[in-house]
Amino acid sequence: MQSKRVQIIVILVFAAILGLCLYSAYPFQSSIKLGLDLEGGTQIILKPSEIGAEQVTDSALDKAQLIILNRIDKLGISEPLITRDYNKNIIVQLPGVDDPKRAIELIGKTAQLEFRILESFDENDNPVFGPVLMTGDKLAKAEAGYDSNGSIVVSMAFTSEGQTEFAKITSENVGKQLAIVLDGEMKSAPRIKQAIEGDAVIEGIDTLAEAQDIALVLQTGALPVSLEIQESQTIGPTLGQDSLRQSMLAGIIGFALIAIFMVALFRGLGLISLIGLIAYIIIFWGILAALKTPLTLPGIAGTILTIGMAVDANVLIFARIKEEMLKGKGKYAAFSEGFKNALKAIIDSNVTTLITAAALYRFGTGPIRGFAVTLAIGVFISMFTAIILVRAILFLMVDTRVITPGFIGVKLPKITREVVKEK
Amino acid sequence: MSKKNKIAAKNMIKTKNVATDIPQLRSYRFDFLGKSKFVVIISTVFIITGIVFFLTRGFNFGIDFRGGNLMEVKFQKDISISELRVTMEEIGYGKAILQSTGSDRYIIRTVQLTDEEKTKILDDLDKKIGITKPLIQDRNVAAGFSQTIIKNALIAVAISIAGILIYVWIRFAVRFAIVTIVELLHDLLIILSFYTISHREFNSTTIAVILTILGYSLSDAVVIFDRVREELRFGKTDRFPDLVNYSINKTIVRSLITGTTTFFPIIVLLIVGNETLKDFGFGLLVGIISGTFSSIFIGPPLLVLWNKRFPVYKK
Repeated sequence: MQSKRVQIIVILVFAAILGLCLYSAYPFQSSIKLGLDLEGGTQIILKPSEIGAEQVTDSALDKAQLIILNRIDKLGISEPLITRDYNKNIIVQLPGVDDPKRAIELIGKTAQLEFRILESFDENDNPVFGPVLMTGDKLAKAEAGYDSNGSIVVSMAFTSEGQTEFAKITSENVGKQLAIVLDGEMKSAPRIKQAIEGDAVIEGIDTLAEAQDIALVLQTGALPVSLEIQESQTIGPTLGQDSLRQSMLAGIIGFALIAIFMVALFRGLGLISLIGLIAYIIIFWGILAALKTPLTLPGIAGTILTIGMAVDANVLIFARIKEEMLKGKGKYAAFSEGFKNALKAIIDSNVTTLITAAALYRFGTGPIRGFAVTLAIGVFISMFTAIILVRAILFLMVDTRVITPGFIGVKLPKITREVVKEK
Repeated sequence: MSKKNKIAAKNMIKTKNVATDIPQLRSYRFDFLGKSKFVVIISTVFIITGIVFFLTRGFNFGIDFRGGNLMEVKFQKDISISELRVTMEEIGYGKAILQSTGSDRYIIRTVQLTDEEKTKILDDLDKKIGITKPLIQDRNVAAGFSQTIIKNALIAVAISIAGILIYVWIRFAVRFAIVTIVELLHDLLIILSFYTISHREFNSTTIAVILTILGYSLSDAVVIFDRVREELRFGKTDRFPDLVNYSINKTIVRSLITGTTTFFPIIVLLIVGNETLKDFGFGLLVGIISGTFSSIFIGPPLLVLWNKRFPVYKK
């Protein structure tokens, strides 16, 4: 017989884990990070494509993400989340933003600033440029404001390297028109009167707000890829709260029903499985809080589902214990056999669930990923609580008088009962 | 009880104990295999109905699957769906799909809109009826992107099924694996049929539902197969159909209990939940019923049929 000390240690370890999880999940309301569909906010999915010769590489995407983050920061939006999915799409999540117009405009702007010589105009009056002489990466500062004539401009200051370069370009091209091109659109083309050392300005802007946006994107740098909006989704604050409240309610009532059902069927064993289930829920929340995995709506549904499924392992074990008891085995033998016989089926069914969770995580986006994560976490924890914890508690109790066939919910045939008593 | 009787009883039990450990003909109460044809008939009818609906009406795809624009608007007063439809026609969007989510709340689905078009719709609605801001939700999906979402969904389903096939093959035997796949395809068809017949929204969340159900159905199948595998070790003298029937009888209690415990929260979700949660919940509900039935009435009979054609176990 396994010594009691082992069981006590197992239970103590679980108690410690539970303590840690409660600590990490406290305070309850703020510890769990909510996904956008529950908290409200905006999600934008952007598909990158290359600009000119620059390929869509991982490092280009990293840079793009950083630039987007900087731009959003400048808008004063708190806790933006910028990630990439498996198709290399960039996903921008802005919690609490319910009017994302300005953010979308800012994020999408490539902000490719080019200085080129204006050579001529074609028959459709489109400008024809010479080669790119300089780009926006030599900028030190960009500021929106008014020039001496009162028209709206963005004034740019170069880095020292940029200043030298700009001076060189202007001195070599005196008398020509220097076009300032932003994202393929010619903003202005002043004629170069003399070599310029210092600043340059962008003209031809309609509103001050637009000038501020241009200054902002110029300062944060040009995106190395061009981004096309694939999907934008805004969830208002009420919808998410409704969903959260309703699914929580479903979880609580569902749990109560499961509890009644288990106790009705398995009596004392059912009660102990509930200890396992409560431990499961606490550890689940604790891990969710610790991992900062956002809880999404499908995630909650997944959680509710895993509560039902977490009981499954115990049902399998208890059914086996009942079966062994009915065969006339003693308490200890019935318990050991019950756990042993059920284990294979439990592991097999959990591994297969993990396979589906992995597929969902790999190929899903947003909320579906949240679902996959919660499903996987749920499967892992339920294995620990339903098998190890419940087992430890039961084996600690097996010798005591508490454990009787009635405790297990078994009605032994009269004749077997006599024998079991004597064993 | 006298001492003599006690000893007699003890001896009886002893012999009984021994008897249970000796390979013997497995006796069972209920002939599940014999009832399988009813389930097959019901499933077939359901799936054919589903296919008819698919051909005539198709899926009610969410905008993530077909692209377009979705706005959920709360109006400043109650309005009926026909009134709203008239208003939408007046402002030039008569083709918009309207769905009520409350007496003053509607989901309005249109083709993909530019920012200007969207602003104009909202301004017009505000003038004619009065809307509250911010919108409850607002979603815009480019048509090309929905292709990617569908592709990913199909890959996810395919990969899970392949992964499951390989796992069951390794853990059991190839015939178990193939029978499992047939079971899962059955469940898949049942859920898809449910979504065409009920015309509930089919979106990327539905894919999560489907994969969850496949996982659930699989657990059921694995538990029964695990029992068959176990009995095969002891019951070499039994006929295979008897052995399978016996295994189902031994696991049916667990299947029903787990089905019930999983049912509870879903039922509550259906009662208290909003439309999004209901789309999710109904799929799960149908899937769990389908999964439970298929693991009992589709998989095991197939296993027996297979053994009839290509016997490995006693016929």
